[in-house]
Amino acid sequence: MKPSRRHRLGGLALASPPLILVAVFVGFPILVALAYSLGQVGGLNSTIGTIATEQSTVDAWYKVTFGAYRTVFADPRFQRDLVVTVLVTLATTVIVVVLAWGIALYVRLSDSWVAKILSALAVVPMFIPVVIASWAILTFYAADGFLRSIAAHVGIEAPIWGYTITAVVIGLVWTNLPFATLMVVSGVQGVPDALIEAARDAGASIPRTVVSIIAPMALVPTVIAGTFTAIGTLGAFTVPYFTGPNAPKMLGVDLADYFQSFNLPQSSVVMAIVIFIVASGFGGVYVWANYRSAASSGRV
Amino acid sequence: MRPTTVVAAACLAPLALTLAACSSGTSGGAATAGGTSITVAASDDTNIQDLFQKVLIPDFEKKYPGTSVKLVFDLHGTNDQANYAKLAAATAQNRAPAMDVTASSVPKAAAAGLLATDTSKVTNLATVDQKVLAAGGPGAVPYRASSVLLAYNPAKVSNPPKTLVELLAWIKANPGRFTYNSPKTGGSGGAFVTTVLDSNVPAADRDTMTTGYDKALEKDWDPGWATLAGLNPYVFQKGVYPNGNNQTLQLLSSGQIDMAPVWSDQFISGKAAGTIPATMMAQQITDPSFTGGASYLGVTKASKNQDLAWKFIDFVLQPEEQAKVADKIAGYPAIALDKLPAATQAKFAGADTQNLRPGYNSDHATDINNLWDQNVPGK
Repeated sequence: MKPSRRHRLGGLALASPPLILVAVFVGFPILVALAYSLGQVGGLNSTIGTIATEQSTVDAWYKVTFGAYRTVFADPRFQRDLVVTVLVTLATTVIVVVLAWGIALYVRLSDSWVAKILSALAVVPMFIPVVIASWAILTFYAADGFLRSIAAHVGIEAPIWGYTITAVVIGLVWTNLPFATLMVVSGVQGVPDALIEAARDAGASIPRTVVSIIAPMALVPTVIAGTFTAIGTLGAFTVPYFTGPNAPKMLGVDLADYFQSFNLPQSSVVMAIVIFIVASGFGGVYVWANYRSAASSGRV
Repeated sequence: MRPTTVVAAACLAPLALTLAACSSGTSGGAATAGGTSITVAASDDTNIQDLFQKVLIPDFEKKYPGTSVKLVFDLHGTNDQANYAKLAAATAQNRAPAMDVTASSVPKAAAAGLLATDTSKVTNLATVDQKVLAAGGPGAVPYRASSVLLAYNPAKVSNPPKTLVELLAWIKANPGRFTYNSPKTGGSGGAFVTTVLDSNVPAADRDTMTTGYDKALEKDWDPGWATLAGLNPYVFQKGVYPNGNNQTLQLLSSGQIDMAPVWSDQFISGKAAGTIPATMMAQQITDPSFTGGASYLGVTKASKNQDLAWKFIDFVLQPEEQAKVADKIAGYPAIALDKLPAATQAKFAGADTQNLRPGYNSDHATDINNLWDQNVPGK
């Protein structure tokens, strides 16, 4: 056996336990669910097939039906919730990236202790369970919450954000900010001092330095932070369930409702596949960013 | 052995162990081998967990020495659907299911024929209300009940509405001071929705929909949906329906709303525990009244130890245990109230514990969850 080939097989063997685990416990159930959404209610889907109501089914293994997809896409509730979910995802991602960049630049360009405390504080939400955070956010912005109480003391009528989409966005930014901050801060810190000083010596203003030197060099971590935020937000359940309105809802909440409360698991699976397709769009950007970073460092 | 092979084998070993653990897990299930131990599966809030774990099961084991009862508890019923699927699968394959007595999804399991139907083994069934018994389906035995009441804050509401029409008028006259939880997240909101829908459903259709499923009759609900959607601008924050019975109670307790439908047992035990201010009051409305219903126990058809399982159910229906149900969780007893001690009877003065207006058949109830979500919020 040639050494290079042996290396490759050894590498494959090293990687195989996680690969097999993913294939058996993630890949296979996804295929079964996909078949269920296309009308296959026999075999492994027979239990759910007997419990569920209003299914589109086929009578042979080689047939498929898109009835379940037609039903879901014709439902005005789904159309509304899909639009809201995508808008919330975009809004959250933009806000998270902007905030993370603000913190990262402040930490990079200022050496004060305030900057250090800020970068440490930004990571705190990572250590607080999402359920507790959601409750805290809900009570903070409720009609009798902290925000309105303080505002009332100084004679201002603050808005009620509890049970609104605004609260959902606030909650999702809160939960996603720590990871994005870690990524972007490390990316921005990685820009060598020499480059920044050279630009400043050549007469570049601070904004000019940021746009032309720091931003391009920290682009890849930013894209990674953004895609992770977007994918996490797209399937979010806890935050929108606790803090959001009854309508419109995010698709993560819809998935649970259709599956548990409405006994329409087939519609639920169809929605999961739609979320998967949208998420793989964001995933594509992540793969591109990773490839670009690997290419620039000469690994591929 | 080459180094790479060793590494690969070392990496594969944990996976093999994982798979082995999984395969041994699936063949497990309840320990039903002897005739002396049964498994009870239940799901609900912690009060029900305490009822089984600290009252009913120890009492049973004391009365019948040598028996052992294992409780499998699913808090808040989050896995109800999965557990039901497991029961259905075990019955279809004629294997011993993970439970001998079930307290979750019982009417659904009864309708699907997953329960043993030999209820004659329960001698204490004599004074149980026949309508409540029938509503559970074949094999389902009611063991506690509760109904939804209209709770209000007497400091703000001096003259609470007595009928549904008065209640709807009150909601419109006092914008933002009433809400109910979405029906999918809890029965108290569900009872309010059901009651509004019922005011337009002919009695004959309602009877059909209580015991069976007929989707065509759901058109009777249309005026009710319009009424409910019309309430949006008048409920809390112009259309906020909280998730779950408890969130409604919290809104009421913190003074954010003045009136809400609540479960009788949660309300009584909440006042006792201090989570609900002692000044809060609750009463039943009429014409139609809020729905109520029983919780059921059933013996699984595929259970290998049905005799002891029936014995357990019969034991729970004894007057002494029923009185403990009333004291511990403020649940209405399933047997006639006059069988219980006078002190327990006094607790339910004014609440007609035996005459409960039943909810819909569980499939219709699922449709109510779905249609409410479609027709009410945000309209």
